[in-house]
Amino acid sequence: MANTETALKEAAQIEGAIGAALVDYTSGMALGTIGGGKELDLNVAAAGNTDVVRAKVRTMEMLGLNDEIEDILITLGGQYHLLRLLKARGSAGLFLYVALDKNRANLAMARHQLKKIEADLEI
Amino acid sequence: MTATATATPVSPMLTRLAAERATGALLRDHGTLYLVDGRVVHAESPESPGVDVLLTAAGRLPREGWDEAVDRAGALGAVGRFLVDSGRLHDGELEICHLGAVFDAAFFALAPAGGPTRFRYGVGHWFGTVRPVDTGAVERETLRRRELLDSVWPYPAVDRAPVVPRPAAPGQPVGARQRTLLAAADGFRTPADLARLLGRPAFHTFLDVRRLAAAGLVETPYEAPPPPPPPVPAWIGEAVATTPDPDIALLRRLRDALEAAL
Repeated sequence: MANTETALKEAAQIEGAIGAALVDYTSGMALGTIGGGKELDLNVAAAGNTDVVRAKVRTMEMLGLNDEIEDILITLGGQYHLLRLLKARGSAGLFLYVALDKNRANLAMARHQLKKIEADLEI
Repeated sequence: MTATATATPVSPMLTRLAAERATGALLRDHGTLYLVDGRVVHAESPESPGVDVLLTAAGRLPREGWDEAVDRAGALGAVGRFLVDSGRLHDGELEICHLGAVFDAAFFALAPAGGPTRFRYGVGHWFGTVRPVDTGAVERETLRRRELLDSVWPYPAVDRAPVVPRPAAPGQPVGARQRTLLAAADGFRTPADLARLLGRPAFHTFLDVRRLAAAGLVETPYEAPPPPPPPVPAWIGEAVATTPDPDIALLRRLRDALEAAL
């Protein structure tokens, strides 16, 4: 059992993590953020990545794919941006967003850890 | 732009209360913000569904479960805590739902409106503190939400009017969330009514309705036209007066050609 703060702290401990945010993708609001600093405004990232998630969800519906998005990976020159959609029991659509330093991060490990954070969060 | 936005806070009184680390209730026309040590711990607005509606209408919690929590922990000001400790909700779930309700109510409470703003020192809320939020974050989010609504579809009238669905174009995709909303729209319910019925935050419903209106899936009610543009400058009048008679024959040919083309 974890609350949002511990979930974010765990996300920040992922090897290579630059910042993390828990985002409500209907409104684009970051419910909580950690790290980021000057190089990454997590509130802006939260709102912007909401459009990414919404576009993908809509595309899935248009394609009639009866499946769920587990995560979305965006690879930059120097960073990985991972968006993990959370299966919430309520109606809220949420995702966990983590930006990772590409040189220090282990992608497979990071995905695995995010999965565990989601399981612990119990929403 | 950014400089002006930061120079004019949503509520100067809220900024002052945060600075003095005040505890109490900030009462405004469209809602109330509860502060503890200058941070927002709860918010309520008649326009947005409360935590109880979000939890019970969406089917997460039976109504009796909520009522019992209020009966047993309301007097102690710890309803939220009780819901978790009694195993009805998980910690993260409570936080997310409560934060959603707080930002939703704050959006309305901090809406630009005339009328007095009062602060009652020492007043707390029976729900209890879950996760305090900085007033700056609440103000920033409120501004962001206002801008987001207008960037999606700049017709505020759709927020208040009954939602009247329009038929989708052949092949036009409609998301699952939006389908549920359209199915509940009976032509009389306003977005706020639909939010309460579906157990969704009011702002989220406003946003969905504006998106649907922008996609032509919901009627946009007629709004009073914007104020007329300023009268033409004097030089145009002079130019018209000094110009010889227009070439009527040319204008007729132009009109006929346009009509034929359309």
